[in-house]
Amino acid sequence: MFYLRGCGRWVAASFTKQQFPLVRLSSDSAAPRTPHFDVIVIGGGHAGTEAATAAARCGSRTLLLTHRVDTIGQMSCNPSFGGIGKGHLMREVDALDGLCSRICDQSGVHYKVLNRRKGPAVWGLRAQIDRKLYKQNMQKEILNTPLLTVQEGAVEDLILTEPEPEHTGKCRVSGVVLVDGSTVYAESVILTTGTFLRGMIVIGLEMHPAGRLGDQPSIGLAQTLEKLGFVVGRLKTGTPPRIAKDSINFSILNKQTPDNPSVPFSFTNETVWIKPEDQLPCYLTYTNPRVDEIVLNNLHLNSHVKETTRGPRYCPSIESKVLRFPNRLHQVWLEPEGMDSDLIYPQGLSMTLPTELQEKMITCIRGLEKAKVIQPGYGVQYDYLDPRQITPSLETHLVQRLFFAGQINGTTGYEEAAAQGVIAGINASLRVSRKPPFVVSRTEGYIGVLIDDLTTLGTSEPYRMFTSRVEFRLSLRPDNADIRLTLRGYKDAGCVSQQRYERACWMKSSLEEGISVLKSIEFSSSKWKNLIPEVSISTSRSLPVRALDVLKYEEVDMDSLAKAVPEPLKKYTKCRELAERLKIEATYESVLFHQLQEIKGVQQDEALQLPKDIDYLTIRDVSLSHEVREKLHFSRPQTIGAASRIPGVTPAAIINLLRFVKTTQQRQAAMNESPKTDQCLRNADRLQERQL
Amino acid sequence: MWRGLWTLAAQAARGPRRLCTRRSSGAAAPGSGATIFALSSGQGRCGIAVIRTSGPSSGHALRILTAARDLPPARHASLRLLSDPRSGEPLDRALVLWFPGPRSFTGEDCVEFHVHGGPAVVSGVLQALGSVPGLRPAEAGEFTRRAFANGKLNLTEVEGLADLIHAETEAQRRQALRQLDGELGHLCRGWAETLTKALAHVEAYIDFGEDDNLEEGVLEQGGSTWWGRKTPISPQRLPSLSLFACLLSPTADIEVRALEVALGAHLRDARRGQRLRSGAHVVVTGPPNAGKSSLVNLLSRKPVSIVSPEPGTTRDVLETPVDLAGFPVLLSDTAGLREGVGPVEQEGVRRARERLEQADLILAMLDASDLASPSSCNFLATVVASVGAQSPSDSSQRLLLVLNKSDLLSPEGPGPRPDLPPHLLLSCLTGEGLDGLLEALRKELAAVCGDPSTGSPLLTRARHQHHLQGCLDALSHYKPSKDLALAAEALRVARGHLTRLTGGGGTEEILDIIFRDFCVGK
Repeated sequence: MFYLRGCGRWVAASFTKQQFPLVRLSSDSAAPRTPHFDVIVIGGGHAGTEAATAAARCGSRTLLLTHRVDTIGQMSCNPSFGGIGKGHLMREVDALDGLCSRICDQSGVHYKVLNRRKGPAVWGLRAQIDRKLYKQNMQKEILNTPLLTVQEGAVEDLILTEPEPEHTGKCRVSGVVLVDGSTVYAESVILTTGTFLRGMIVIGLEMHPAGRLGDQPSIGLAQTLEKLGFVVGRLKTGTPPRIAKDSINFSILNKQTPDNPSVPFSFTNETVWIKPEDQLPCYLTYTNPRVDEIVLNNLHLNSHVKETTRGPRYCPSIESKVLRFPNRLHQVWLEPEGMDSDLIYPQGLSMTLPTELQEKMITCIRGLEKAKVIQPGYGVQYDYLDPRQITPSLETHLVQRLFFAGQINGTTGYEEAAAQGVIAGINASLRVSRKPPFVVSRTEGYIGVLIDDLTTLGTSEPYRMFTSRVEFRLSLRPDNADIRLTLRGYKDAGCVSQQRYERACWMKSSLEEGISVLKSIEFSSSKWKNLIPEVSISTSRSLPVRALDVLKYEEVDMDSLAKAVPEPLKKYTKCRELAERLKIEATYESVLFHQLQEIKGVQQDEALQLPKDIDYLTIRDVSLSHEVREKLHFSRPQTIGAASRIPGVTPAAIINLLRFVKTTQQRQAAMNESPKTDQCLRNADRLQERQL
Repeated sequence: MWRGLWTLAAQAARGPRRLCTRRSSGAAAPGSGATIFALSSGQGRCGIAVIRTSGPSSGHALRILTAARDLPPARHASLRLLSDPRSGEPLDRALVLWFPGPRSFTGEDCVEFHVHGGPAVVSGVLQALGSVPGLRPAEAGEFTRRAFANGKLNLTEVEGLADLIHAETEAQRRQALRQLDGELGHLCRGWAETLTKALAHVEAYIDFGEDDNLEEGVLEQGGSTWWGRKTPISPQRLPSLSLFACLLSPTADIEVRALEVALGAHLRDARRGQRLRSGAHVVVTGPPNAGKSSLVNLLSRKPVSIVSPEPGTTRDVLETPVDLAGFPVLLSDTAGLREGVGPVEQEGVRRARERLEQADLILAMLDASDLASPSSCNFLATVVASVGAQSPSDSSQRLLLVLNKSDLLSPEGPGPRPDLPPHLLLSCLTGEGLDGLLEALRKELAAVCGDPSTGSPLLTRARHQHHLQGCLDALSHYKPSKDLALAAEALRVARGHLTRLTGGGGTEEILDIIFRDFCVGK
């Protein structure tokens, strides 16, 4: 195989499934001896693993560079995946054939759908995950991905070359330099360094450089990025101490049991790997005034809390909870870390007190009186790059073919990182094959909302997904992520397997057929009342009622409907998922019908592309205020729709931009008389006109 | 973003039957966006006012208002009796023109109503249009933007478009400020606040209720004990309505119901509610004792304001409707702008500045004999320079600089400072220079009033009604339902309508309230 200079240890380049990659690799062996890949992914966390596998699925020869192979797939913080909003993201990652949902279906120890009572649009799939299993399964998956090579090594610098003239950006990345001085070349590079950019761990008054407890931070890379002119900010986050399981008195605490049956994360799974009765419970306890006292008396020993760096508002440490909401009891969930783990993760107790005080505080909590702290909680402060410096395809404006994904963009959470990872991996690969970028719109998915928020508005605190951020919440549901994204992922990105694509196609056509059949069945309300006595339908109405409208009632499901009208409805109850999804579609049908019009309006504005090379600060033909110019210059929106969402960009500025774009296009068309380019431009113009 | 959504959520919650009937009527052909309407002629005394609609429901609206089964021949003026579709009350005999798309100004189906120009008629027709499903008042620049989007304006015509839209936006903003000044604004902002808070609480319950341990203690101390409860009262023992009640805040619920009542009452009352403050808004401003009140008295030919040699005589905003050179004008006298005075006058100064924001035309007044004083210099530097510095495209606000007390200048002495911007000399005492001022005012007012966008308070009022009604409709669908996402949608839509009147309305506002009121997090 390859010979790679330097200390990098080849861990795996296994091609178990096809001979195809081997052929491609061997054809490359005539190339220079320095290794050359299509895509390099730096970092093996949740963004990195998704990015690397997505790029490989798209057909790119990909190298995953990580400090340590044995930390690939490490869950550095909470032992859980999913939740409200986050579960939506996981469904979307899965719809694009990403890994985390499938791995979670193989590694969970407690599956529970949150918000069951609040409507399927906001159901939150969630699970406690066995850290060890997750890591094992993830590494197995990564090491068996065709076209994907994994190597250990710390990246010190980027190799930069002249920019491609047809794109914006002051230079182009063409590879990386490792700590030992060796180089690896690539067509695209994805940075997913998480909290490692100048990462600093804080416990009490002690601070030391680290990206994660026990892991070196990346300092050289941070300097390179700063030198290139990237705007860097600083954020902080934290993690609670870990407690020995056998030192906790669970018998006096509230027990939470998992769902029965378990709902899998992935569309491809009908069930999860473990039976509900074998799953582990979680326990609930509370803080008390004694905890407040310890926090308040020791603020002088707690530099993380005093720092001004922004931390998340919604995932605060116990210290900030005590400070902001004093004299209250705060919940502490005791979550298992795995099937055979001796550790318990006290969710809600993220703290940075000196180690001995952490133990003191924990032992005054009910059930934890004799608890032993195995690993102290700590805080992390780290650099992030203002995400307004990247495009919706996650490529940087400054450096061509350099992509950022994950916490480096100012987000928090495994799911947010994974979502960006998939998009960055796909786009890095599409960039290599010179195909148009794959962008998910706000109207198509939570991934779109996440990336649009980041790239147009930036963030000043670790960004987390909430369903309240999503305008079209009733349309972008966990149940229909495959219809929204799988088909596009297959056609536009090529990141979806044939099998998954066919399944999604089948589901789509079955749903459409089912809905039209349900619409076509009409009876009087009194007949419905006779057929389904439990339905609370009013019989005073004389007009006929469609089966779809009957299905809207809470007390009706496909089974009861099919019992009433076996022909032709019986066949739709055979697939449980289909029956459930038909019920959900019926629930929201009337709202969705109109939400679709709204979505079309937004999409119209998003179809209006702004040229990437506009220099907003200097263009003269367009009258824009200085403030608007600066804002546009910094965020570089790609569409009129994105531009109009930037605060301070006025409707007049939008019209000015539209006019500018049209005039420029006409001028170019007039100038380029050579037949080929002319044809192309005319097509572009025609397209533009149709869009307008 | 929420535009139009209210109808959907509304229809969703209205239940299946209603939806079917509505859709089968084919009233609004969906897919091509909403139908918009606006007054497109200027204000001032005019015999005929033109009201335009654009969008797929234009033809439907025309048929409804003229109570006709068929549309008039395309592109022909026809005389029709317009009547209110709700009451059947006749509104006006008007000329109507039907322009089916794409051969129309915007490229969409358009209708023009040429009605008699009185405010009652115009207002009546606008309200009647607003009551047709699928129609809403146009946003600033929306007609032109649609025309542009449909390729109906060539590039040279578009040159001025951005300026126009800016002017329209600005004028509408000022118009909205005026209409929201006072009681209505107070009400709207209060309602929007209530609704934002209610929505924030529902959103918090959705996003954090289970995942992030929205904590019980916090909720109890926040005055609401409802949703943190992990073990609600057994649902089996309760009818489904109260299940919702025990899940959702009784306070949020009560507040929403109270808001519904208040909005309904306000809407029923609206016809005889707020006085229409029509006409171009001309505001006289300047440092104390420049002679602003004298000018107001001179222009209105009646003693509107008390005039005295003492600086700070006028402390409140005094407005008087006058006819200036044939244009309807609302003339406002304001307190002299100065710092560091007593609380009453300070409030007067604050109101003066607020009024200045809303002005179409500013009459900036200075004492010609006192140009070197700090108050004059300060006034020149702040008010005059800031309006003057904006290019016409940046601001549609106009300003005339008037130097009063020209009688105090010695005839042979040096004129006023050479670095002054263009100005007029006037003596309120002798009346010298008044003709010049009136001529300048005539020109400015012609520009202000000739622009259809500047001033139609009628349209603003139609917008208010439209959005308040939309809010009310949406609230009526905030109903006991197990599906909180649907309930939240109704609140989102309702809030969207109110924040279109009051401004604001982003997600961040909601998140701010959530993180302020609740201790969420793990």
